Amino acid sequence: MSELLLFKDIDEPGLNTLSVYEARGGYSSLRKALEMTPEQVLQQLEASGLRGRGGAGFQMGKKVSFLPQGSMSKYLVCNADESEPGTFKDRELMQKCPHMLIEGIAIAAYAAGADRSFVYIRGEYVLQADVLDAALAEARQAGYIGDRVLDTEHSLSLVIHRGAGAYICGEETGLLDSLEGKRGNPRLKPPFPANQGLYKGPTLINNVETLSTVPTIIAMGGEQYAKLGTETSTGTKLVSVSGHVQRPGNYEIELGIPSREIIYGLAGGPPEGHEIKCWFPGGSSSPVLLPDDLDVPYDFDSMAKAGSMLGSGAVIVVDDFTPIVDLALKVAKFYRHESCGKCTPCREGTNWTVKMLERIDSGEATPMDLDIMASVQDHIIGNCLCVLGDAMAMPIGSMIAKFRGEFEQHIEQARAREEAALVGAASGGGAH
Amino acid sequence: MSAVPRLPGGTRASGWDEPADLNKDPALIPDPATTEVPAELRKTIEEAMARYPERHSAAIPALHAAQELHGWCSPEAIEQVACVMRVTPAYLDSVASFYDMLEKQPVGRHSIYVCTNISCSLRGADALLAAVQEQAGEDPDFNVRAFECLGACDIAPMASVDGVYVGPLKDEDVPQLLDDARAGRPVLPEKQLATRLVADPNANSKEFPRHAPEEGKP
Amino acid sequence: MPRPEPNTITFTIDGREVQAPENSMLVDAAKHGDVEIPVFCYEPKLGNPVGACRMCLVEVEGIGKLQTGCSTPVKDGMVVHTQSERVKEAQRSVVEFLLINHPLDCPVCDKGGECPLQDISFGWGGGISRFIEPKRHFVKPLELSPKIAIDRERCILCYRCVRFSQEISEDYQLVLLERGAHSFVSTFDGHPYVAPFSGNIIELCPVGALTSRSYRFRARPWDIEDAGTVCTLCPAQCNVKLTVRDERVMRVLSREHSEVDDGWLCDHGRFAYPELAQGTAATSQNGSGPAVRVGMRVSQPLLRDGGELRPVSWERALTEASAALKRAGAQTAALAGSGVSNEEGMLLARLMRDGLGSPHVDSRVHGALPLDLLQALSDPALQARVSDLEFAHSVLLLDCDPLQDAPILDLRLRKGVRRHGLTLERVAGGDLDALRETAKRLHEHGEEVVIVWGERFAAGPDGAERVRALLELAGELKLAETEGAGLLEIPATSNGRGLREVGVLPNGAPGLRPASGEGGKDASAIALALAAGELSALYLMQADPLDPADPFSASAGEGAWAGACERASTIVAHATLLSPGLYEHANVIFPAESYAEKEGTVTHPDGRIQRVRQAAARAGSTQPGWAVLGQLGELLGFDAGVLGERSASQQVFDSVAFYRGLTLEEIGGRGVRWQERHRDGDAGHEEASKGSAPHPHAFAGAEAEEHPAGNEGDGS
Ligand SMILES: Cc1cc2nc3c(=O)[nH]c(=O)nc-3n(C[C@H](O)[C@H](O)[C@H](O)COP(=O)(O)O)c2cc1C
Ligand code: SF4
Ligand code: FES
Repeated sequence: MSELLLFKDIDEPGLNTLSVYEARGGYSSLRKALEMTPEQVLQQLEASGLRGRGGAGFQMGKKVSFLPQGSMSKYLVCNADESEPGTFKDRELMQKCPHMLIEGIAIAAYAAGADRSFVYIRGEYVLQADVLDAALAEARQAGYIGDRVLDTEHSLSLVIHRGAGAYICGEETGLLDSLEGKRGNPRLKPPFPANQGLYKGPTLINNVETLSTVPTIIAMGGEQYAKLGTETSTGTKLVSVSGHVQRPGNYEIELGIPSREIIYGLAGGPPEGHEIKCWFPGGSSSPVLLPDDLDVPYDFDSMAKAGSMLGSGAVIVVDDFTPIVDLALKVAKFYRHESCGKCTPCREGTNWTVKMLERIDSGEATPMDLDIMASVQDHIIGNCLCVLGDAMAMPIGSMIAKFRGEFEQHIEQARAREEAALVGAASGGGAH
Repeated sequence: MSAVPRLPGGTRASGWDEPADLNKDPALIPDPATTEVPAELRKTIEEAMARYPERHSAAIPALHAAQELHGWCSPEAIEQVACVMRVTPAYLDSVASFYDMLEKQPVGRHSIYVCTNISCSLRGADALLAAVQEQAGEDPDFNVRAFECLGACDIAPMASVDGVYVGPLKDEDVPQLLDDARAGRPVLPEKQLATRLVADPNANSKEFPRHAPEEGKP
Repeated sequence: MPRPEPNTITFTIDGREVQAPENSMLVDAAKHGDVEIPVFCYEPKLGNPVGACRMCLVEVEGIGKLQTGCSTPVKDGMVVHTQSERVKEAQRSVVEFLLINHPLDCPVCDKGGECPLQDISFGWGGGISRFIEPKRHFVKPLELSPKIAIDRERCILCYRCVRFSQEISEDYQLVLLERGAHSFVSTFDGHPYVAPFSGNIIELCPVGALTSRSYRFRARPWDIEDAGTVCTLCPAQCNVKLTVRDERVMRVLSREHSEVDDGWLCDHGRFAYPELAQGTAATSQNGSGPAVRVGMRVSQPLLRDGGELRPVSWERALTEASAALKRAGAQTAALAGSGVSNEEGMLLARLMRDGLGSPHVDSRVHGALPLDLLQALSDPALQARVSDLEFAHSVLLLDCDPLQDAPILDLRLRKGVRRHGLTLERVAGGDLDALRETAKRLHEHGEEVVIVWGERFAAGPDGAERVRALLELAGELKLAETEGAGLLEIPATSNGRGLREVGVLPNGAPGLRPASGEGGKDASAIALALAAGELSALYLMQADPLDPADPFSASAGEGAWAGACERASTIVAHATLLSPGLYEHANVIFPAESYAEKEGTVTHPDGRIQRVRQAAARAGSTQPGWAVLGQLGELLGFDAGVLGERSASQQVFDSVAFYRGLTLEEIGGRGVRWQERHRDGDAGHEEASKGSAPHPHAFAGAEAEEHPAGNEGDGS
């Protein structure tokens, strides 16, 4: 495995405490950053080519540079809602190395000129939130967070805000509404958070992993970091591998290695007698790929070229014993349940898709329903307020396209079962 | 599966099928003079409001606290929060009903969220949920819920017991899980996520998959 | 604060170049090219677009995804397509999605025929639904409040109603509960949605989900007529559209006027019908039917004989009334109350002055003000407009509670505060120092200060002094010189301003000119004089000082009016509903038209002359107020001339110098502020604009004498 950046010492006992983290060189990057100008720090971030690890894969440096200059109070919000099915990397970072995140937040805030920051952590992550709270107390004590950080002009407040269970609050504008104490409905964009975000102020939103990578970048230098990974997908990435593999878990990989190496090399692949049927390369929102795609390099662009996306870096492996209809139902039901209901195509489309799949499963469907279902997915994609709708429509669409045969077969079998049952009932009861 | 219990009529909470009670007064911001708020709760909420530039941001923390105290976001609980936050109860009701962890009906003290999302169900979560539901039975102390991905697919199938993540779980674990929860003991200590190393092969369930569909490959 | 003045740009829509205001949303800009983009959730009145329903998706060249026309500001050179196959397919799909859970119970739906969902499904939908699964079903309809029923099956979750409750009336009682496909509109824990403006959500709802319980199943759109008029139940004078069926008013809708009501109505104005038409007690039809009672609609003349009020013929009522008034002669006093039109008011004043020789007429509840003050207050330069309440830097409420005195202004002020950072303060008129101090403080934060004051500020013996102080303050703060600043008086009665301007004053003739002859008594003095026997007859035009609900009940000290009415030899009244005082004391009661039955003009507190148009048939044998006054005049040997060629309105325009030249056509459906006619002294009105230049001295008699019409106005 290539060199570890985020997971170096990750299982070191007590790494979550300030003393151990500092002993490992923790917070030296913050000191280094504070000796530079915010512009210089920003240059390092841009040079690193670091792309967002939350799903959208947008260059972090660019995003920071979008924030307007000026004295208005700006905000930094860390997206720790981690609710994308199959994703559990942020959890690991926050639980085992909270100070790395706090240090990253402090540096990013300095570069962005933000003086108030928040971590929006999903309410289910009780342990991780407690760990963060403890770490934050230590960091305040040590003067890394608070008024005049390390006696510089730069001040930064940090609040750990616990959510209450809603996937949509991972969407950055839904997160902002939720953080403002409202229902977590996504907002119309523009205005983008960089201009008008939290409390209508300029706001930088980044994922836990993205921010946790910042100290490393400052330590090793942007150019150096950019040497890792590929041209357009620099550095290392945490991948959460789950599903039908022998060693599910979080792995840090250098972007660009073959996907096969992740699924088989690291996670051990499916066990004896099981083959891979399909796999999600970037969480349940990414279109499924087939075994033939196992050699696609694991980086943002290659995944896009392969017709899917790297997303949050959650690899879900599905073996050949799993009926595709079951999988599709799971996915659709999740998005129906998590749709905020604000916009029509997502609210009604997810709902309708589930109902159609249930008919398919219970044998009340015909192959024609597959066409309707496919077109419903097309009508959702690109027409919603945020991309939650797309997040269902893309994988479901890909399943219909890639497993149509099995869908039809399933419909046939189910109907056969139905009819058999009916006939049975008729001859049993109605015979004279 | 539906992650949240449904009432007849398909809604997740009561209200849809009842007319407004025309004899009630409109629900305005509660009057502090006539609204009893437990001191502890008031303190928690006021501290929460102080943490943010805008007091409304305290809505979720405040509702969490009220739920701690009342067991669920009862109308009374919501009125108390509304009184301290100086917002209408409807505002908070609207927020509370949006989030899965805020209960709009009375529930058992011990919450057991069984993740039934993709990765866990690939490893038998639906069977696990059935087992937990069956063994927890009608015990009013438990609030057993199927839950969306809890972000612990590495220990699939798993559950969150009063906020503590445990897994991978087998049917055999369920009795002790319930006993520990009832007794307020640490739940299945050796299976808690807290103690797990990153991507530690030994920490993963060996026998796999839990289910091989009887009819074999589709 | 600066008001948006967008410059015009050119963009291309469906291949045609169209001019539109820059940054207006595409759905609005498209209208300039007669292109309609369908919308559900978009309603500019509710604030910023939310982009929720996705009905308005259009193609904008250079942008990959379809854009929501409701939230995309138009820019110069933009190229937009609303007819491309891509757009049509998206629109069809949104309609299909919306109809998935909609019951399509149009045949039994109140909205049927006037339903945006119907229209848009017809115009932009695919015509078929591929959804064969079961729809949601719920108990329907349910009461949401005593006034509103909700049908949640029909709701398309456009968020309009909840946005109104949360962002416009700001009562935050109506919210969305639950999430996703389970979301539904509701209140907290079964509480009813009761708020001063709740009825507006009925009009906002683009489907039949929110309906008026009083209107439900009363009519279908194809057997009703719309009639535009002005609600005269309070000084706000909101523009309304009455739904009429079989000559009866079925409901009241808003007829949006940005300078009056901003498109909202208060619940009182919206739901006062049908009570106003039928009364709370059943009407007694030509003598038969239930006995005369308080609250009943007066639909024919009533005469007291043997202590009992009895229906009588018009001849009888008119002769009795005229005889009694003749006897009292100059000992007669008159009050004109809410709902009295300019025409009726002017005729009443003339009947009193020229017919009976009595100067004791009043329309002010809180006492007469010296004429010079009234004139100074009417200085056009000093007059604040309704929209100023929204854009000014600050508004000072002086002895005025909008929610009580002119409800719709409350929404306007909230809008100002919420959207334009308006500062709002209240002071009690009792403390002039506080007033001065507050006004000055506000002025320092921005010179556009509007002082909204209630008529009661001028109450009592030192009322005049206070008003003088107010005018001085206005002078110090240069409110007259500052665009967007000024004074706005909220009169106690709904047409208070108009009645003063047409001369229903003890001390003023039409046009606020000095009355010929010595001044008369104001309301409170009238009460005392009647009680003391110095006056003997009282003429009450849509006023009842003994009715606690009537503004005039506040016009005199405790018990004063009781004594007055006891002692009065004759009380002649015009009434729509029989009020307690009249039931007790009136000798003759003429049925008065409700505002929906009336024809005439009224004047808004900011000087906007508006037309009240007859929408429904007059109840029973009710006659127009001006005709009754005309006939009385004749019987008293005085020719008001209204029964002849010159209409009452024409007389009003002729006799009020600063109304001169007005025509009903010019007033039209939107009204005209007389101050503005003079400001842009538009052609055809030179005389008027010269004769009554926007300055107090224009009111001086001498000035007006120059105009023959002015003399005519004097009736001399
Ligand atoms: C439906 C939806 C759910 C999302 N959930 C998450 C999440 O749980 N965590 C996260 O970091 N980003 C999530 N995102 C992406 C965020 O919107 C945003 O792009 C990201 O937080 C930006 O941070 P980054 O640039 O560092 O990736 C989600 C996006 C959508 C549309
Ligand atoms: S009730 Fe009417 S206005 Fe309210 S959300 Fe539903 S459709 Fe829209
Ligand atoms: S009208 Fe544009 S999204 Fe609803």
